[in-house]
Amino acid sequence: MTKPAVDPLAQLTEIRAIMERSSRFISLSGLSGVGAGVVALVGSGVGHLYLKREYGTQGFLRLLESTESERTLVLPYLLLLACGMITAALAVAAFFTFRRARKAGQPLWSTLGRRLALSLMIPLVAGGLFCIALFLRGAVSLVVPGLLLFYGLALLNASKYTLDEIRWLGLTQIALGLLTILLPGAGLLFFALGFGLGHIGYGLLMYNRYERS
Amino acid sequence: MKHLIHTLNKAFDHRVRLGVMAVLMANDGVSFTDLKEALDLTDGNLASHVAALEKAGYVEVSKQFVGKKPNTTYTASKDGKQAFQDHLAALEKLLRG
Repeated sequence: MTKPAVDPLAQLTEIRAIMERSSRFISLSGLSGVGAGVVALVGSGVGHLYLKREYGTQGFLRLLESTESERTLVLPYLLLLACGMITAALAVAAFFTFRRARKAGQPLWSTLGRRLALSLMIPLVAGGLFCIALFLRGAVSLVVPGLLLFYGLALLNASKYTLDEIRWLGLTQIALGLLTILLPGAGLLFFALGFGLGHIGYGLLMYNRYERS
Repeated sequence: MKHLIHTLNKAFDHRVRLGVMAVLMANDGVSFTDLKEALDLTDGNLASHVAALEKAGYVEVSKQFVGKKPNTTYTASKDGKQAFQDHLAALEKLLRG
């Protein structure tokens, strides 16, 4: 009797790989995280210096107790800084992920990539607008917790379409966000910790795990 | 005794069909283009294998129009999911010997 050529192990391995590849965007590069983290650290530094110049040594602490007219005055600058950081972080992240996707032969703008971007962007945009409202209405101490919480929830939401580490990064941001509610004075520090060191840490972890050959 | 190899589903004895089922197990509703890209196949090749799976009742096809472009979406049927699970179980059994 001739047996059909079936290698069960090879079949199972291939099935697993196909299921993984087709349902998760795996080309996300760890270096994207590192780059975004560096951008966030630089941005926090610039913000810190700006607030020092504006309010003297108290800096960020003074911002927490600012009057409405003072807040309206600094808002354009802070928004500009935020937009600059987001643009730079996205550019760096896109560069490294594009490079990795090309190497892996996975298209960047696939249904999967779009789904990932959308599930990240919806909570993120809502959170960003909400934080601007918090700032304008005088709840400045809740802005950094809000940013961290919404970003963490966005990551958690997007993590089902990509690498598992993103879920942990999201949970870390949520934890830091909750902690910042208790320690509003250290807001800028937690911002740098979450968006800066958080990204760098998980980015290096992902790079070590998946990309270093 | 019947050899274990005969417990493997004949509908899945081609790697393209196996691949199609794997993608449809992991995702709900996949378009023809995405399926083609995920498995790196040509139109004709994919179409003929999907047709075979459809005939077996393992894959459900729905056609809609997005604007003027036809858009075909494939989903694994209940039977298809069951058959694929059984196939995986049979493969694992073969491995354990």
